[in-house]
Amino acid sequence: MTTNKNKIQFLLGDKLTEIEFNSEISPTTTVLNYLRSLPNHKGVKEGCAEGDCGACTVVIAEESNNKLTYKSFDSCLIFLPSLHGKQLITVENVGTSEKLHPVQEALVETHASQCGFCTPGFTMSLFSLYKQDFIPSKEFIIDALTGNLCRCTGYKPIIEAAHKCCGEHNHDYFSENENETILKLKGIKNSTNNIVIDNGIQKYFLPSNLAEALQLRTDLPNATIINGGTDIALRVTKKHEIITTIIDLSQTIGLKKITKTDKEWIIGTGVSIEDVRIEVKDIFPALYEMLSVFGSKQIRNKATFGGNIGSASPIGDSTPVLMAYNSTLVLKNTKAEREIKLREFITGYRKTQMSSDELIIAVKIPIPNTNEIIKSYKVSKRKDLDISTVSACFNLLKDEKGKIKEIFMFYGGMAATTSRASKTEDFLNGKEWNRENIEKAMKLIDEDYTPISDARAGAEARKIMARNLLMKFYNDTINL
Amino acid sequence: MKKIYHESAKYHVSGEAIYIDDIEVNNQLLHGYVYTSPVAHAKIKSYNYSEAQKLAGVHAILNYKDIPGHNQMVPVFQDEVILAIDEVTFIGQAIFLIAAETEEIARQASKLIEIEYEELPAILTIEDAIQNGVTVQPSRKIETGDINEAFKNAKNIIEGELKIGGQEHWYLETQICLCIPQEGRDMKVFSSTQNPSETQLLVAEALGLHKMNVEVEMKRMGGGFGGKETQGNHVAVWSAILANYTKKPVKIRLFRDEDQKMTGKRHRFLIKYKAAFDENGLISAVDFEQNADAGATSDLSMSILERAMLHAENSYYVPNMRIIGHAWKTNLPSNTAFRGFGGPQGIAAMETIIDRIARTLKKDSAEIRNINFYALFERNVTPYGQKIENNRLPKIWEQIIETSEYFARRKQVNEFNQKNEFYKKGLALTPIKFGISFTTAFLNQAGALVHIYNDGSVLVNHGGTEMGQGLHTKMRQIAAKELGIDYENVKVNATNTTKVPNTSPTAASSGADMNGMAVKDAIDKIKKRLSTFIACKFGATYRDNTSDAENLVYDRNIIYDWKQPERKISFNDAIKAAYLGRINLSSNGFYATPGVNFNRDRGFGKPFFYFSYGMAVSEVLLDILTGYTKILRTDILHDVGESLNVDLDKGQVEGAFIQGVGWCTTEELKYDSKGNLLNHSPDTYKIPGVNDIPEIFNVNLLKGYPQPGTIHRSKAVGEPPFMLSFSVWLAIKDAISSIKNHEIEPNFQIPATNENILLSIENLKK
Repeated sequence: MTTNKNKIQFLLGDKLTEIEFNSEISPTTTVLNYLRSLPNHKGVKEGCAEGDCGACTVVIAEESNNKLTYKSFDSCLIFLPSLHGKQLITVENVGTSEKLHPVQEALVETHASQCGFCTPGFTMSLFSLYKQDFIPSKEFIIDALTGNLCRCTGYKPIIEAAHKCCGEHNHDYFSENENETILKLKGIKNSTNNIVIDNGIQKYFLPSNLAEALQLRTDLPNATIINGGTDIALRVTKKHEIITTIIDLSQTIGLKKITKTDKEWIIGTGVSIEDVRIEVKDIFPALYEMLSVFGSKQIRNKATFGGNIGSASPIGDSTPVLMAYNSTLVLKNTKAEREIKLREFITGYRKTQMSSDELIIAVKIPIPNTNEIIKSYKVSKRKDLDISTVSACFNLLKDEKGKIKEIFMFYGGMAATTSRASKTEDFLNGKEWNRENIEKAMKLIDEDYTPISDARAGAEARKIMARNLLMKFYNDTINL
Repeated sequence: MKKIYHESAKYHVSGEAIYIDDIEVNNQLLHGYVYTSPVAHAKIKSYNYSEAQKLAGVHAILNYKDIPGHNQMVPVFQDEVILAIDEVTFIGQAIFLIAAETEEIARQASKLIEIEYEELPAILTIEDAIQNGVTVQPSRKIETGDINEAFKNAKNIIEGELKIGGQEHWYLETQICLCIPQEGRDMKVFSSTQNPSETQLLVAEALGLHKMNVEVEMKRMGGGFGGKETQGNHVAVWSAILANYTKKPVKIRLFRDEDQKMTGKRHRFLIKYKAAFDENGLISAVDFEQNADAGATSDLSMSILERAMLHAENSYYVPNMRIIGHAWKTNLPSNTAFRGFGGPQGIAAMETIIDRIARTLKKDSAEIRNINFYALFERNVTPYGQKIENNRLPKIWEQIIETSEYFARRKQVNEFNQKNEFYKKGLALTPIKFGISFTTAFLNQAGALVHIYNDGSVLVNHGGTEMGQGLHTKMRQIAAKELGIDYENVKVNATNTTKVPNTSPTAASSGADMNGMAVKDAIDKIKKRLSTFIACKFGATYRDNTSDAENLVYDRNIIYDWKQPERKISFNDAIKAAYLGRINLSSNGFYATPGVNFNRDRGFGKPFFYFSYGMAVSEVLLDILTGYTKILRTDILHDVGESLNVDLDKGQVEGAFIQGVGWCTTEELKYDSKGNLLNHSPDTYKIPGVNDIPEIFNVNLLKGYPQPGTIHRSKAVGEPPFMLSFSVWLAIKDAISSIKNHEIEPNFQIPATNENILLSIENLKK
């Protein structure tokens, strides 16, 4: 195994492709811009360059345990180096107008394209669904498509196309060549280890193991850390920043593990939000609910807990929920490991207690006691692929008489950080869990928060939402 | 019948469809960038871009003095400059143009430009604009009957105001143009425009050339929706100026946020209304004052306002009516065409009146609508004097009331609301009557150029542009049907100003109507020559008697004499023979919509060739704690005459409806106190997603009612169904209203965002 200097390798369709970074090609070039610079991959479109429209959707196949998994991604949010060792599939690879793939054929036959600009993106999202190899329910189809916007059709024919083409034992060009692809991808992975890119302007590191990553973190305390990179990528695509040093943890082994015990789950910060979402459904339903309205399929396939927590955004979807579950973060540097409650970790607007030599390596979520009632809520203008106007997660513990033993109320979007409604909690603790007390408590929330007005909503509406979510929680738990 | 798919579908799904940004250009290509005003209203005191010019890779930085021809963007009103001179009047107004080797360099250069402004007071709301009292053009009025008398005798009167928000087009493909200099100073322009002829005119005027020197080509747009009717011209003119100066190809592609900040939107309106009605809800008089936010310049505001006024009564007969319209000047980007073109705003206020009458009288709003509909033989003249012919409202009402089970569901909704505190359902039926034609009469003309090559293949050129609506598909179908040949043997070319001159914009839903007729006209001319030749040939073969050219039928790739069917020839053989016989197999075609006229000063005439009709019933579920709404079911019955292509037309109906739902619900434009648009990207500007469509979505076209006098008895479809989304909007209002048992009129506006819904509910609780 060697360290690859300034070079990455991946498959573009079937073709082994090598990119050498130099002063002309920046390591923060997005996959979208790279593809559009090629003569034969102009099917991939830029609609927004921020992961909100999905016109640039591509599918990336990854090998693990001799199997390929096909997932959809927004190519505008992926930096080139993270393609290393993977298969990048674009709409051109899927099929041509002379020889359409079953997904493309279905889209034609259901009249699912009008202006056609969003269509390559939809094709790729459907292609990734097709490759899941099962008969998808309507919910599954919708979930696969929430990251793609269409302004012409009204979506109905696109859903029909999905029903038409997706099923079991799907066979296509890619399944025929699967073994060969696996061999090729393994070949790349076996020949290389760490990737180090330095083009004279930017440095970009893709450490393959945690020790390497921590060493880099110590050596380069000012480096930008990315994992999924869905947030950091916007600094490049929207603000046109040149980020000088990046440590990309997306290929770091050891961060992608979920360890389950009777007491708690330890989720590596490199596990994608989508993989977490699928896993936690039965054990942590409030987390599942929130992650189900987190971004879109494309974003969830890329984004990670590490990034969502580490960015300490006041509107990060996972933080109120993880706080309500009383999660603990595991921080590590080259010398030691320490644990800190998430509730204490975030100290201010995008500020945390992480030291400049540490990485968040895992989140420990205790399995709730049977008498803990935890529920999460998100209010946004649009249900899917929208950032919270207000989010909340409540954890209610009742005593044997049914009184409130302890309640934890965490709100996002109401202050500079995710924060607790302490006054309201104090009022409720020890009281009866009844409508009268809830109505009184709702008034107190106004004292806990002074929200701002912005593009998403005014302060007044945010206050109403925060109050109402408590009522909603009460109403949802009245019989529990 | 064989299904005809969108003619580009297989290219769309494979990524092979070429949009302007996909065109390969030589390595001389420069990227254009527009330096725009960051302030809403200011004097430009001084500027300096010498540092920016020095940046390596920068080829040009130009100001208004560098424009070789007219510094003018609007052909009619002449009130919008291409580049600011000494004053800026909105945020996003172009001041300088930059051409550089990469987008990145151009952006860096723009950061090096120094400019000093002296800020002036800015008008940023309609309320302030009304106070300020400045309109972009003189106000208009339409009046019929005697409203004063009617209000004096009225049993019931309601009065109020409706706030209607704007809408961003959000075409997936942002504004884009590629200009390639040709010999001399000629310019070839690849523009994403709904109006190639106007783009051609404005580029010519900006460069000081004639239209013959400028060729505009438009293959396909990645969505238009009206946003590229005039405002595609801006990037075209800017890139042409840069290409003309640098003598290199120049492309300008607006970045999404720039596009949202710089371009105009659907007009915001503030409509004041007063209506009189009797105890049954029959309306006797309506008085409207429509106040539109025109933005900084005229653009199309007067035509849009005119359509708002001409649709102020929607589908209802109002014997006494006055509509006053103002297009107020504000310091915002000039608002522009958007599907419906003012119609939606005008209709929203009328539907609000109906809804309020129902609440006032404690009746069902659908019944109020029914008694006020235009009737077939009386009560059938509009406030502007046009008689309603071929009225499909009664038929549609009859069918949709039944298929949607409206009255049974009304009962179910009421029962549900009695039982549930935190979830409420709402139900509404809304109609649309939409006038088809440009209200500016001269625009109602179209041209085509059809070639039949001597191998029998057919190439159609026409003046319309393809923005996804399937216009080219319909034109192919029309040509194939007229020539009696297979659809596959016809192709439609990219729209090009050198093929068909002096075209009107593809707008007002008129694309298929007018261009279809022009294509037919061209084919009729060729067929006349061809038939004469073939009849003569038949006559020569069968010597006993002659064939009459008029008896020749073109069907299934064969031309035959219907009186003597044994006399036949395959289409391809006929074409070969005609070619050898030196027959002209190419023709242009032309169409002018007959009988339309409108006197603007009198507010009277027959502005529309015909009307399109439709109705929708929608049921929503409202979570009153979060303001979140879900459309449970929508039934639509829409009239397109005899559909040219049922699948394409249904696609238009569904797409327009959902776009309307977006405008009515989640699409919101907020500005800060300086006039900055806050929702300038899809991060905060939310168009409907896949999960926002009705759970049950039944869309049907009215069957059995062909339209007389149109191409293959079809009707326009692009815009009208947009307004069927009012069924969702008013169903939401119905749900809110049920909280207080429909006893209190809730505050309501467009859009009904979850925020506005929650505020309305809070207000009800007070």
